[in-house]
Amino acid sequence: MTSEFEMKEPVRIQQEDFSQDEEIRALQASSKRMGGIATFLGCARDFSEGREVSEISFDAYGSMALSELKKLRSDAIEKYALLDARIVHRIGTVKGGENIVFIAAGAEHRVAALEACRWMIDELKQRVPIWKKEITPQGESWVTPHP
Amino acid sequence: MIKVLFFGPVAARIGNNALQVEYCPGIRLQDVRDELAVQYPHAFEIVCFAAANGEHVRDMSMRLADNSEVAFMAKFSGG
Repeated sequence: MTSEFEMKEPVRIQQEDFSQDEEIRALQASSKRMGGIATFLGCARDFSEGREVSEISFDAYGSMALSELKKLRSDAIEKYALLDARIVHRIGTVKGGENIVFIAAGAEHRVAALEACRWMIDELKQRVPIWKKEITPQGESWVTPHP
Repeated sequence: MIKVLFFGPVAARIGNNALQVEYCPGIRLQDVRDELAVQYPHAFEIVCFAAANGEHVRDMSMRLADNSEVAFMAKFSGG
């Protein structure tokens, strides 16, 4: 039987929202040896730097961002001996409270899964060419990254 | 020609997503940056990273081929 989630690529950049359940099911389907799955969900905050934020708009160097995300996944699989990993990042416009990014790492044991998940989101912020702009009632501003 | 791409905050400061720079044999990534930084100093104040043909480049002395695609980028803020 082939279901929709099994056909989705493990690394994607997309405008539409994603389903965490589908991503986790797809990850689990890749191996029955998986004893631990760690996930990170990044969401759009409706308040930043003392201002209300109504929407966040993303710009990306699409082809490079996708290729960097694919490298990031394969680097994490190698570095932490993961059984599988998935990364989905949204672009376009995201409203306060909505999902932005989802990362899942599956390993035989919890420590590798947890460490790999943390490593992937930290690395994503360092090396993947995506930029966010906060849209507030007072105007728009590009986000200066936090360390 | 060399195609130069801009995104996010750099594109906003330049007022454009792409420009072209004339190719000449031996041209380096640093030469392209220097030429554009004179024209768009406000935008290049926030440039932290460069890419050539979709790959990060740290060595700005890298020589470019004709029809290369390069990008000068601000710090990333995805995730």
